[in-house]
Amino acid sequence: MKKVKGKSLLIVALIFTLNMIIFAQQPKTQYSKLKIKNAWVRPAAKGANSALYFVLQNNGSKPDTLIGAESKLADIVEVHESYKRDNDRMGMRPAGKLVINLKSELEFKPGGIHVMLLDLQKDFKIGDLFEAVLQFKYAGKIKVKAEVRDTPMTKEIKQ
Amino acid sequence: MKSKKQFPYFDHENISTLEFILDKIFMKRQHLLIIIILFWGCKDKFPVIEELGGTQYNLVNQNNQNVVFPDFVKNKIVVINYIFTNCPDICPLSTNNMRLIQEGIKKENIKNVQFVSLSFDPKFDTPDVLKKFTGIRNLDLSNWAFLTGEKSVTDSIIKKIGVLAVPNDSTIFKNGRKIFYYVHTDRIQLIDADGKIRKNYKGSTINVNEIVADIKSLQ
Repeated sequence: MKKVKGKSLLIVALIFTLNMIIFAQQPKTQYSKLKIKNAWVRPAAKGANSALYFVLQNNGSKPDTLIGAESKLADIVEVHESYKRDNDRMGMRPAGKLVINLKSELEFKPGGIHVMLLDLQKDFKIGDLFEAVLQFKYAGKIKVKAEVRDTPMTKEIKQ
Repeated sequence: MKSKKQFPYFDHENISTLEFILDKIFMKRQHLLIIIILFWGCKDKFPVIEELGGTQYNLVNQNNQNVVFPDFVKNKIVVINYIFTNCPDICPLSTNNMRLIQEGIKKENIKNVQFVSLSFDPKFDTPDVLKKFTGIRNLDLSNWAFLTGEKSVTDSIIKKIGVLAVPNDSTIFKNGRKIFYYVHTDRIQLIDADGKIRKNYKGSTINVNEIVADIKSLQ
């Protein structure tokens, strides 16, 4: 009888552990449908600033939120947006947390929302590759590979 | 008794000789009116916004050479934008549009055009910084100068030409270096060969074909 009880406990523990593993992996599966495409970065010299642009697609089952960005290739990485003040005056401000709704796209583009890259650690010339990591509320960290260009990206880079 | 009107049908006694000649030439006065309207229309397309003739500003280019603006571009059509190199988004966009305009005039084989990019953050934008800014972008400097100078001088220029640039936020890096971000006018300007500013465009969203056509018209 004791042997049966011990076996039952073992099975329950196994089921519990499996559930935990499945539960832990579930968000990753659900939110892995965030897609980053057409990523590009403007050329800039070491110590100078640049910006990262891309299109963010949410094909998952829930909205997600971009909460930050980082890169080993820049001292400071922040999500900003350029905005029109008055007449033709332009300013820049932190974009805050950006929600990417279901089945929608969010475009990071020149003159709009962009990932600001400050104090680049090396020269980035046209044709070079830049790497950054975007941090999402649910999907976690997603790597971005971007080509250095002077005009918007039209082809996709394998991320 | 009414006299029979002669061709062209107008009263010779009540119009001047000049009108008579013009009517002869254009047959109908309406035609003349249309031509006058078209003439004035073209003139109004490029009204003089500001005159730079008579003013002289001592500046330095990306090669650390002294230049006197606008003397060094005398008798040339000038396309000018206003930048600070720490600007991560708008100024690179405007500068890239300058590059596209430069390519546009090359394709159209338009000569006698000079490009100028003036920094309104000269304390940071030294000639060396400007040189790196141009080099990394592989810009064609054969007819394009990047200018900097004393802050009082660059401030005088942007005040004269109607550009505003006000330091706003700043960032301090891990190494203690501090940089400023400006709220600034996003502008490219067209200056004619007599040093008169003739048209303003929004630098980051300029229609390249439009300014190339305008440069052609000013030639």
